Amino acid sequence: MKPFTSLCLALASLAAADAVLSAARPQYGGTLRVEVEATLATLDPAAAAANDAQDAARARVSPLVFEPLTSIEADGLRPLLATSWQIEARGGRWRFRVRGGVVLHDGSTLQPWQVAASIRAIEPAWKAAAEGDAVAIDTGEPIPDLPWAIADARHAIVVRGAGGALVGSGPFRIEHVDPSRILLKAHDSYWRARPFVDGVQIESARRPEAQLVDLEGGRADVVGVRAIDARRLMRRGLRVEASRPLELVALVFEPHRATDAALAWRRTLAATIHRDAICSVVLQGQAAPARSALPPWLSGYARAIALNDAPAMSPTAVGALPLDQRTVTIRVDPADLVTQAIAERLAVDAREAGFTVKVQAPVGLAPRPDARLVRVAAPATTADRALASIAERLSARGEPAAAPPPGAALDATYRAEQALVERVVVVPIVHVPQLYGVGERVGAAAPVARPLGGWDLANVWLLGGRP
Amino acid sequence: MTLRARLFAVVGLVVAVSVALVTVTISAAARRSFEALDRERTRALVAQFRREFALQGEDVARRIERLAASDALQRTAFEIGRRSDYAPFAGEAASIAAAQGLDFVDLVAADGSIISSAEWPARFGYRLRWAAPARAGSPAFLQAIELPRETAIGLVAVRQVASGSRTLYVGAGRRLDQQFLRTLTLPDGMRALLYRNVEPEVSRQQLVDASGQAPPAAQLEPLIARVRETGRESADTIEWPDGPETVDGIPLAGPGGDVLGLLLVASSGRELAALLSRIRWSGFGFGALGVIVGAALSYAAATQVTRPVEQVAEAADRIAGGDWDVRVGGVRAAREIDALARAFDTMAVQLVDQRDRLVQAERVAAWRELARRLAHELKNPLFPLRITLDNLRRARALPPKEFEEVLDESLATLDIGFRNLNVVVGRFGDFAKMPAPVLEDASPNEIVERTLQLVRAQIEAPGRPPIRVALDLDPACGIVRADGEQLGRVLQNLVLNAVDAMPKGGELAIRTLGTAASVRIDVGDTGEGLTDEERERLFTPYYTTKQHGTGLGLAIVQSVVADHAGRVWVDSAPGRGSTFHLELPRAQADAMKADGVKGASA
Repeated sequence: MKPFTSLCLALASLAAADAVLSAARPQYGGTLRVEVEATLATLDPAAAAANDAQDAARARVSPLVFEPLTSIEADGLRPLLATSWQIEARGGRWRFRVRGGVVLHDGSTLQPWQVAASIRAIEPAWKAAAEGDAVAIDTGEPIPDLPWAIADARHAIVVRGAGGALVGSGPFRIEHVDPSRILLKAHDSYWRARPFVDGVQIESARRPEAQLVDLEGGRADVVGVRAIDARRLMRRGLRVEASRPLELVALVFEPHRATDAALAWRRTLAATIHRDAICSVVLQGQAAPARSALPPWLSGYARAIALNDAPAMSPTAVGALPLDQRTVTIRVDPADLVTQAIAERLAVDAREAGFTVKVQAPVGLAPRPDARLVRVAAPATTADRALASIAERLSARGEPAAAPPPGAALDATYRAEQALVERVVVVPIVHVPQLYGVGERVGAAAPVARPLGGWDLANVWLLGGRP
Repeated sequence: MTLRARLFAVVGLVVAVSVALVTVTISAAARRSFEALDRERTRALVAQFRREFALQGEDVARRIERLAASDALQRTAFEIGRRSDYAPFAGEAASIAAAQGLDFVDLVAADGSIISSAEWPARFGYRLRWAAPARAGSPAFLQAIELPRETAIGLVAVRQVASGSRTLYVGAGRRLDQQFLRTLTLPDGMRALLYRNVEPEVSRQQLVDASGQAPPAAQLEPLIARVRETGRESADTIEWPDGPETVDGIPLAGPGGDVLGLLLVASSGRELAALLSRIRWSGFGFGALGVIVGAALSYAAATQVTRPVEQVAEAADRIAGGDWDVRVGGVRAAREIDALARAFDTMAVQLVDQRDRLVQAERVAAWRELARRLAHELKNPLFPLRITLDNLRRARALPPKEFEEVLDESLATLDIGFRNLNVVVGRFGDFAKMPAPVLEDASPNEIVERTLQLVRAQIEAPGRPPIRVALDLDPACGIVRADGEQLGRVLQNLVLNAVDAMPKGGELAIRTLGTAASVRIDVGDTGEGLTDEERERLFTPYYTTKQHGTGLGLAIVQSVVADHAGRVWVDSAPGRGSTFHLELPRAQADAMKADGVKGASA
């Protein structure tokens, strides 16, 4: 081989290796394009959400700008703007030491009084006051798990500047907000480290199908993905990242079908459900079978909760039922293709057992259904708080569910959940994670999707940015 | 009905019936021709459908064979064979169906469980009975395909896919629906419907046409039910609001022979109905024209025949009305009618001759009757005169004193006799010179009462058996234009006749009755009554039933009543008395003017 040729080959090899390495190295610059389905008109954590979707979207976007005192991570509760905390007498008073040197988006340094003011704004019943480098919070009624309770996005620390400007301490600051688009800029003085990207552009009110197409077409970098579309993205070589299961999909019977007399009938219908098939095929492996309301990672006792072992009706007995009892109508949200797909499978399973199931996705008036297939968020917090949240949301849908008391012990939570599912009025089917599709030009040292929901965009870089 | 009308009706009827017969004959022939043509068209369409069906089946089988042998499916089958989890392949069938243009695609494992289903993705894992390995390689067949919300009919085939260690089957096909119906080339006036026999009862929702909409099916249900039950082809004629339609029901059977659906081939009878309607209306039109022409011809013919007859009849009427000079010799007619006209004229001439002879004879008879009556009337007064003259002649021989006595007696007798003669002559003179009535407003009731006063003495004369007078005068009788004097004389005559008719007494009934047009006066008695002969001759002058009557009283009555444009008649029967009726018109003045009578007010 001639020397020149050898030199050329060596240079080409070096160039190729550099290209590979540069793709794996963090790079600064660029604007990350994110799309969400909900409409976001404000990022104020104190503002009431119009619906569950808006609440969930705000819970993802708000932590990019505003940070709470504590944070719930995969391995438990971690300090964020508070460095430590301690409970005082009788559990009614907490003292949080505020992290020092945290530079806010306006260039000032976070002060304990600002923290106290933010907490008072979101929890008027509490007494919060700065005490030196700490904030003392007197909740009145004892809240033994207050550090967990204030780890959510709603309790993020917001400094309200002149003219109502919202000032936070997160990795990004607000540049522009309107109902269709939010522009965030990197916070250069972020107390952890400046984000790699210069900014984040969040397109809101984008339908799931449009998000999918934008991601496939390279017009978006991070989008929300439905489980039923996950395999499609993966086949195209795009990443699909998932949180832990944070949503419960359950069949909730209507009051006229929730009587004690219909318990055996409900149990028979519930026994026809093939959860594994739903998870593996319908939801394309992006869900977990659910036999309890809380996901196993959150409660730890899910295996102990089994559906009532009382025998269900035999298929022959089902065939002998009157026609009105053999025909079941399940209502689903017409805009939710995931629950529709699950309902279709439920219909197939029940049909094989002798039922006739009609899936109803009404856009107007429709006959009264026998049950509804609903999605309920299972917030990543303590088991008792998560179950209480689920119970509250189910109550809002018409199924009264007993919630465990705040700070209840795990066995009390277990009993409450057992009581919730043993009547078979609420039939857990699957637990679904938050799924995100990540574009080809997105590099990251860690997954974009945080395990307990939301995005970790501070550690994301874009290929082609500054090295 | 006149002769002319009869001729008109007969000719018109003959024309109308002829046209109707022609119309019915043409309609029947056209219907038979169209029905035969329709049967041929239906047979052709059914044959076309069968060919199309067979071609579609072959096409489906070929497509699935190519699909089973395709690299893509081979690779998929290989991947499926490598893995124990079928979940990643759940969407394969939908992709294949979209790429191949098939309505149904199912990837089925060897145990019959669905790996992937295009038509019902949620059905994975369950057995698909129709795609059993035993059917792999067999020709395309009809199959009821279960879908999430309905059951469809498909033309499907099953093929095995070589996949290494595992066996994989692909069952696929096309749906029999409106798309399939659109592939059938239908002549004008025909349409094809598809009924999916997937419900226990006949359901209208399962009927589709080429447009995909469910047409009205109530009238088709009996045919559908029959074909479902028998599994054999059948036909019905359906009456739609816009016309009849012949529908052939062809069963579509699955491999087991069960009827999965029906193809309904409908042939509209609207064209036939329209043609028959046109023929019918043309028939009506020509019939109407024929009737009109026939009517004109029959009128002309009838006129030719009946006009001379009518002229003869008119001439007869005029002769009957007194116009004896009318003749019909100038009538232009056929030979028979001309002979009739000449015979009529001859008859008319003979009638005039006979009338003249009769008038002459009656005149002679009247003179004879007058002479006889005069002789009779004069004979009675003359006989005492002749006896008196004989007594005078014989008295010349008596002494003067006795002669004087006889002379005085004779002169007295002669005086009486001459006065009687004078009375008789006066009566005849009065009848001869009856004066014209002087009309004025007169009350019939007053005239009746005045007349009764004049004759009451005679009615109640001593020695006469009692006669009761029953007077019934109509207060609303009103006024008539009449000569009161003459009318009184008439009533006096009638009353005295009635009194004379009751020598043994009885009841004299006088009644007046006014109507809008006339006034009637009835004078009745309870005497012996009259015979028919007496009644017929009663008003003849000089006819009397009385011993000393002149026979002029009732003649005068009739003359006066006639002068008042009225009429008089009698109702009588032997033993039941007689009643004379006078009827005077209220408008008699006008009638009398026409007759030349001078009215008082004129």
